[in-house]
Amino acid sequence: MSIRLLPLLLSLLGIAVQAAPQPDAATLQRLADDPYWISLGHYERQTFGGWRSYVDDADFFLADDGERSPLAELAATIEGLHAAPELAGAHPQCRFPSRTRWLRQQLVLDDLPVVECAEFDTWYADIDPHTTVLVFPDAYLNSPSSMFGHTLLRIDSAATEGSGTALLSYALNFGAMIEGMDNSILYAWKGLAGGYPGQFALLPYREKISEYSSLENRDLWEYQLDLTPEETGRMIEHVWELRQIRFDYFFFDENCSYRLLELLEIARPGLRLIEQFPLTAIPADTVRAVKDAGLVQDINYRPSREKELLARAAPLQPAEVSWARALAADTGLLEDAAFQALPAERQALIQETAYRLLRYQAAGQERDAGNAARSFRMLQAINQNPPPRLEITTPTLPEDGHESRTWQLALGSQDHRAFAEYGLRMAYHDLNDNLAGFPLGAQIELGKLRLRQYEGNHWQLEELGLVSIRSLTPRNQLLQPWSWQVQTGLERVAGKDGRQRLVGHLNGGAGFTWHLSEDVLGYALATLRVEHHRDFAATLSPAAGFDSGLLWRNRAGNLLLEAQADYFHNGEVRRSLGLTQQLELGRNLGLRLTAQREFSHWSAPQNEVMVQLRWYHY
Amino acid sequence: MKRILLGSLLAAASLNAFATAPGGPGCGWGNMLFEGQRGLPSHLVASITNGTSGNATFGMTSGTNGCDTSGALAYHGKSMIVLSSIMNELSEDMARGEGEALTTYAVVLGVPAEDRAHFAAVTSQHFNDIFSSADVTAEQVHAATLAVMKQDAVLAKYADQA
Repeated sequence: MSIRLLPLLLSLLGIAVQAAPQPDAATLQRLADDPYWISLGHYERQTFGGWRSYVDDADFFLADDGERSPLAELAATIEGLHAAPELAGAHPQCRFPSRTRWLRQQLVLDDLPVVECAEFDTWYADIDPHTTVLVFPDAYLNSPSSMFGHTLLRIDSAATEGSGTALLSYALNFGAMIEGMDNSILYAWKGLAGGYPGQFALLPYREKISEYSSLENRDLWEYQLDLTPEETGRMIEHVWELRQIRFDYFFFDENCSYRLLELLEIARPGLRLIEQFPLTAIPADTVRAVKDAGLVQDINYRPSREKELLARAAPLQPAEVSWARALAADTGLLEDAAFQALPAERQALIQETAYRLLRYQAAGQERDAGNAARSFRMLQAINQNPPPRLEITTPTLPEDGHESRTWQLALGSQDHRAFAEYGLRMAYHDLNDNLAGFPLGAQIELGKLRLRQYEGNHWQLEELGLVSIRSLTPRNQLLQPWSWQVQTGLERVAGKDGRQRLVGHLNGGAGFTWHLSEDVLGYALATLRVEHHRDFAATLSPAAGFDSGLLWRNRAGNLLLEAQADYFHNGEVRRSLGLTQQLELGRNLGLRLTAQREFSHWSAPQNEVMVQLRWYHY
Repeated sequence: MKRILLGSLLAAASLNAFATAPGGPGCGWGNMLFEGQRGLPSHLVASITNGTSGNATFGMTSGTNGCDTSGALAYHGKSMIVLSSIMNELSEDMARGEGEALTTYAVVLGVPAEDRAHFAAVTSQHFNDIFSSADVTAEQVHAATLAVMKQDAVLAKYADQA
């Protein structure tokens, strides 16, 4: 806090010591309007004119009204640059090296006092910025919210290029500042709704790798950008200005990706990236924007530890996988005659699988001496008989998947009544959507609206889905995760007299999924539902049920065969059987065929068929 | 000599800094090197906030996740900081004889590019000397590595300057 008052006091003194020559009003205004100054201050144009900075922190501004006035901030900064050099670290030249460089260049300020910025210089020398890499942690199937992804930057020094190791680089990450390590849903909600401030953090990249690769089982995509060392350096100078500075953080728009795009625009003036994201900035979309701007030079894929474990185990026979599991539990089996009898190459693969399994089991836990001892024993065995290097095919690039928003147009018939349906889904991907770039069995939908126009010009709201998340992660011999789903919103169901009623609902389910074959998933979940239905006596009616089906990735697209049932406490029983096939027409275009039969105690079985055109756009 | 002194300074510090200094048991091999939790709720929170807890770290003083780096750490201490944060990965790479962590270790030890392959081969051969037990500490690994390097004609000169 005194950091703020001190320079203010001292700069007042500074004025007495050395009057700062201010440029004329016209020049000041021109500079204040300059797009570069606007981006340095993170200003945003307001709807009814004027500016407001995204920065939510008084420490970032030298002027009292700096947050709303680029001009005032500019004048105060010019003033501040001329302050007495005794301020040292607190001097505006040291606090704002990026502003200093730009103003010095724009106004040809040859007479600025020379200030020693020891802290900045040491920090900058340690970072030694040379290259910038955009890093995208990919989705993890059992955590569908990770499908939105994240973006962070990796800053490499000049030495990194030659050495081929990224473990000495720094990661620049913008994220919400959470107090405490609580994991409740409240924290997720607050993150979505802007309840946390956001801050930049600079930390060793290897920590980020550990976090994403081991703890969250997410693959990392590293996009090397063609920023020159000077541009990367300019960006890092500005990052110093943002140290411990608080921004607003909103998951959808003012998020990690948005802030990083702002940084890239500062690195290379003239880049137009953030204007492409007026509403939301979904990380995968921002990766696309960076690629389209021609910034990407090279792409590197870094698989997660879980992916490496499964890849190492892939060529093993079931008996060999059993060996791996047995060894992980008891490394004494290495001496076992039956194991020794196996061919050496198979032993090598089994050993490494066992080791990786042990490490996977240890992830996120307190150090367990037993696990550590067994892991160590396996490492020694690997050292004696190393397996061939693990090669993992690079999957589809995440930005090559379909775009985030879906526009839907359909024609169909429900029990001989024809209809046209118009739909919009804000984000993101369901079980049938074009698969490239997404995991099979993962669904996350936000903001889904469907309107129907029946023959006779009878309009009806068919569905307003708030959230629909499904995570059908297959179990295998090595790993046995749960499958789960959560949905809430408004939808049409059977009502009295055979009518269709719009009901509010919340339902969830848990169960298991298996790979029935290479391209087929089979799943079975037990479900619970709570509904507000006008024709039911109670305000909220619970139901228990099941949801099971097959998801088949065939040559045309994804096919989903699903059987669902809800047994209500009040006696109503609803069942449905559905078949959906998507025809993938292009990266951002699909044709979906649906046939569904619904049963209810309140009406005769109902049939519905529909042909829907899906356009994935923005 | 300077190396050994620095190493013992750090070891001494570790006795006081409860189980978190480089060389302390909490920072040794096999440890999960960061505080984190698994399970669905933490995934959810992590992917929505993508954030950090506490005051956002900002550069060289942001130690090694659970391994305390306070105390007098000159620039030469960097190899120890790096080593303690990549112990697990390094042990795997050294067992196999190749990998990113092994290369990183060579870099911080001052081994130039042309000798790194040799470094990898030699250290891998002496895996049991360097990673001598499941409870080995960063400091022990570091000391053992230098000892192995000194025995090798090509690598000995780097051991002295590291």
